[in-house]
Amino acid sequence: MQELDSTTDSSFGEKVFEFTGNAKEYFFIWIVNVLLTIVTLGIYSAWAKVRTQQYFYGNTKLDGVTFRYHADPLDILKGRAIAFALFWVYYTSGLFSPVIAGIILLIIMLLVPALIVMSMSFRLRNSSYRNVRFNFEKDFKRAYTIFMVPVLFIGAYIYVISLLQPEKMTPGQEPEKALIGLIMILPLIIMLMFPFWEFLITQFKVAYSKFGDASFAFHASAKDYYKMYLKAFLLPILIALIGIFAAILIPMFAGGGAEPELAAPDSSASSGAADTAATYALFSSAAFGVLFMLFYLWLFAYIQTKRTNLIFSNININGHQLNSELKVAYMMYLYFTNTLAMALTLGLMMPWAKVRTAKYKASVTSLTTMSDLSEFVNIQKQHQSAIGEEIGEMFDMDLGF
Amino acid sequence: MIKGYYYDGKTSDKKEVFLYVNESDKICIKGIDHAPIPFEQIKVSSRIGNTARYIEFPSGEQFETDDNDAIDEIVKRLSENKFHGLAHALESSKRFIIVAVVFVVLFSWGFIQYGVPYFSKEIAEMLPDDASQYLGQGILEAMDESWFKKSELTDVKKDELTKEFQFLLAQLGYDNIKLEFRKSPVIGANAFALPNGTVVFTDELIELSNNNNEIVSIMLHELGHLEHKHSLRATIQKFSLAMFVMVITGDVSTSSSIVTSIPVLLVEAGYSQDMETEADTYALNSMRKLDINPIYFAKIMQKLEASHSEIFAECRQNSKSSLNDCLESAVKRNREQDAKEKSVMHYFSTHPVTQERIERFRAHEK
Repeated sequence: MQELDSTTDSSFGEKVFEFTGNAKEYFFIWIVNVLLTIVTLGIYSAWAKVRTQQYFYGNTKLDGVTFRYHADPLDILKGRAIAFALFWVYYTSGLFSPVIAGIILLIIMLLVPALIVMSMSFRLRNSSYRNVRFNFEKDFKRAYTIFMVPVLFIGAYIYVISLLQPEKMTPGQEPEKALIGLIMILPLIIMLMFPFWEFLITQFKVAYSKFGDASFAFHASAKDYYKMYLKAFLLPILIALIGIFAAILIPMFAGGGAEPELAAPDSSASSGAADTAATYALFSSAAFGVLFMLFYLWLFAYIQTKRTNLIFSNININGHQLNSELKVAYMMYLYFTNTLAMALTLGLMMPWAKVRTAKYKASVTSLTTMSDLSEFVNIQKQHQSAIGEEIGEMFDMDLGF
Repeated sequence: MIKGYYYDGKTSDKKEVFLYVNESDKICIKGIDHAPIPFEQIKVSSRIGNTARYIEFPSGEQFETDDNDAIDEIVKRLSENKFHGLAHALESSKRFIIVAVVFVVLFSWGFIQYGVPYFSKEIAEMLPDDASQYLGQGILEAMDESWFKKSELTDVKKDELTKEFQFLLAQLGYDNIKLEFRKSPVIGANAFALPNGTVVFTDELIELSNNNNEIVSIMLHELGHLEHKHSLRATIQKFSLAMFVMVITGDVSTSSSIVTSIPVLLVEAGYSQDMETEADTYALNSMRKLDINPIYFAKIMQKLEASHSEIFAECRQNSKSSLNDCLESAVKRNREQDAKEKSVMHYFSTHPVTQERIERFRAHEK
């Protein structure tokens, strides 16, 4: 029985995300998770992961309704056991034979596209909103096609380098000019291709995602990715230029303090000047260190922020448009204070950091809707193993978006 | 009556409904047409903080509510599963949380300080000696390719050193130690003990010494690393530490983030210092056994440290002064510097502050 007035419902338009968790509550959950994981020698970690995910999903609300995480801890435990065994074999084989470790790593690398598909599928199929599951179309062929291009280029590069190894060449033989040219050009091509490639992967991840039977549409273009990286690279160049100028100009105005140190390092008469020079050197290296940290923080926050905004603001589901408006400056502030707080408390502030980050992210995300969101149709849920996800985590790959 | 939303599982349509338990203990929903259902046929989600609670019905329908307490009451009355809500009970008991924090902090400290070194030692001892033979077989080849060149020492010098070493090794009861010499401008003066029992000296180290006893003392230090299976232990320690961080943070990806990587590096540096001390102890004891004056180790360490300083490199490059003169001035400069910036670096270096190690051998000077 459809209600007749559902289409004239006033709940159209901008719907906001909000995160309703709080640091204290999550701290309690987290510390119990850690305790039980230690006591059960790691077995509880699967349950811990599920409870943590459920806490964060359950506190993330869109239009006042929660998201839900469904993964079965036993699936995660199985996936973890396999991933752990693989990691252990890889790690110990590295001790005995770098060659075997290399082969294992190569196999895992060849599996990356499949791992991405499996992991996306596991995550999405275990997520729901309004009792409708998310979904991921498992297209392994497409995943491998996308990965083929960079792998070919990098493979070619490694091959060319191996050709130029001294022992491969007869003595006195000049390396071919073409080969040297390739060595110079290939890395440049790989670098220039990177944004395009990232675009392809993201597009793949988004466009094969579904909510119920409704596909995600992805409206970003490769151009957006080039713009993002171009900006990220222009600023450091600018800073470097300013830095070079400063390095040249400041000593000149400081009265040539560097001179006496070179001329007479041991004579007591000039020790004052030498001290000034040393202080200056210490000060400028400290200043440089701070600048570098600041720049690193900025670059990290900038890429993370812009990337997130780029992805989410270009997702459209059935005409409903997602918007993400993270600010670089605020993210820098968050990263900095989070890191500081965790460092000072030896990690005990981790829950606080995670909660406030989630709060901020939710607060700048919204969905512009065309209806009251009631039209999505659930499709048959299928079981999905957690192996891909857990291997990806164990080897520290970022498989989601 | 518990207020909440009802979803039929077919579409995302949301309906405001009320859930209640009727007189015959069946679950009923007011607001839609839904037959009463016995409690055993529904699935109630575990309570996590104050997040919404879900009740799943047999054919995929779902009821979602914020009223956790009301749901808990129903579960308590009708459920036979004693474990339902156990995790939440622990997570919301202040007393248990305090115990948990204390336990986790103490355990982490103890595990890192004593547990990891102890277990890695036990495991390393358990592994058969043969294992070490295969261990890092490829390491020398790999190092030859990237860092080492052929030694430029004369055969006479090499034979002389080898003979002297073999004589001492026999006295200590070793018969499977292999000696190798390599030139390495990249690494400079140094020595390495490979797990399969090969000790590699760089030409640069040999050149620093003017007494074979100095080189012998370095060899004994390297033997200490071998004797205590340090490379094997270091690997096991690294692995267990990484796993432990994973368990604590509950999230594998943070194990490589900057927040955890710095403490992990510091802890590993601490382990590494302990191993250097252990190897020093072995060297010191062996020197006394072989009746070699421990001062030789102090001397060569002083020179070794100086040879890696900038002043030494500059001196070697710029002037025509001899290696010994350069060494002397670098040693002098190092001493002055050490006096200035004492022990700040203690926590950051993989070797204990060299001066401390040197003092230890000086104390046993004959």
